[in-house]
Amino acid sequence: MSWRVLSKAWNEFFFAPQSPVPIALFRILYGLAIIANLILLHSDWLNWFGAHAWVTLPTMTKVEPGTRINLFKLMPPADSWVEALFWVFLAFAVLLTIGLLTRVSSVAVFLCLASIQQRSLFITHGGDTFLRVAGFFLMFAPAGAALSIDRLIRVRTGRESGEIQPRSPWAQRMIQIELSLLYFVSFWWKSMGAPWVNGTALYYVSHLEEFRRFPLPGWLQQPIFLKLGTWFTLALEFSLGVLIWIKEFRYPLLALGLLFHLGIEYAMNVPMFQWDVLPAYVLFIDPADLKRAGSWIRKRTAVLSTGVTRMSRASSH
Amino acid sequence: MLWSGLFQSWDMFAPAPKSVNAYIQGVVITRDGRIHTWKFPRMEQLSLTQRYFKERYRKFVENLQDEKNSAVWPDVSRHLARLYNDPSNPPEIVMLVRYWSDIVPQPDGSYRPQPERARIFFEYRLKPEDLK
Repeated sequence: MSWRVLSKAWNEFFFAPQSPVPIALFRILYGLAIIANLILLHSDWLNWFGAHAWVTLPTMTKVEPGTRINLFKLMPPADSWVEALFWVFLAFAVLLTIGLLTRVSSVAVFLCLASIQQRSLFITHGGDTFLRVAGFFLMFAPAGAALSIDRLIRVRTGRESGEIQPRSPWAQRMIQIELSLLYFVSFWWKSMGAPWVNGTALYYVSHLEEFRRFPLPGWLQQPIFLKLGTWFTLALEFSLGVLIWIKEFRYPLLALGLLFHLGIEYAMNVPMFQWDVLPAYVLFIDPADLKRAGSWIRKRTAVLSTGVTRMSRASSH
Repeated sequence: MLWSGLFQSWDMFAPAPKSVNAYIQGVVITRDGRIHTWKFPRMEQLSLTQRYFKERYRKFVENLQDEKNSAVWPDVSRHLARLYNDPSNPPEIVMLVRYWSDIVPQPDGSYRPQPERARIFFEYRLKPEDLK
């Protein structure tokens, strides 16, 4: 493969304009995940981030010295300011979801998210990490170029045509790479551990009481199925990290990944992890397929609403 | 990476999942000698909805047990003391106790719960300024 071919492929991959619908759909799902996380955090907001939190800001700064994105360090150390940050964060998360002041909102959401994670590193999990890193790239993405109020305003005021214009997808590609990195590094670390190689890892995982959620059928807990499950996890994480980039494997792998995460959601207490990660799956869907799915949904809802109108007319006569 | 907010690690259950069931309780002794026990929320004892709201405690307790995070133990002790702060009978001592039982694979693949053990891993004597 020559250098020219390589550089052409690179440019094509990162910069050839494509529909911004996938990144816009991701923006909506991402925003919803942030809102859900905030709502779940609200009752303990001051316990984690307040002046007398479980871990105070000075201790956190001592544990993690150096320059960090942390708005808490800039605010007066009073609970009222910490409370205010929650509402500002929530407001920008809502704006990002609906696509109003999208760019500004994405920057504000990233700053707030990075700050609360930096302020309380001991409560963050993989899902939070993914949201933070994806949020960083989302700031640079044309996330408001479709499915947004910003676009609606631009079309109404004649600043943009009704047709959605293709945009450079480099930021979307970075989030896709981040997702595949998540799976590949998980696979890599697991493959270093004896329990994952000898097939006993899921035995331990399935007996960690804090993680148990709904009961699993007895046969699934037989040693042979736990072994197969352990190795399947390794194989799937490797595939989602590497093989997902091969077009022919993509949709079957996304379907398997979706089932895998829903399975974890059923069996284990890792609240929000699945919902933090799954939104990025839409970035791997071909924009043409998303368009087809969109028209199918529109047609269905049109048929449904016509049916409802007819029924209500019939009942009023 | 750290300053930009792009730091990351993907090591859940890796390289090996935990092989113990463990939890932490805080013990606060007030001036009158009374012992108060504060239980960190345990997922297995919460309703499905509560688990969504309190999951952060699971992660927190997981990190709290780790010796390398001992720098936060005094803060946690002071926070616990504040929960029982009565000026006429203030807290004097806070202890953090870890309870655990090993997960031991049986030859036939079954699971037999192991005896639970406990250890006080941190004791903190409160100073008057701690509760301000």
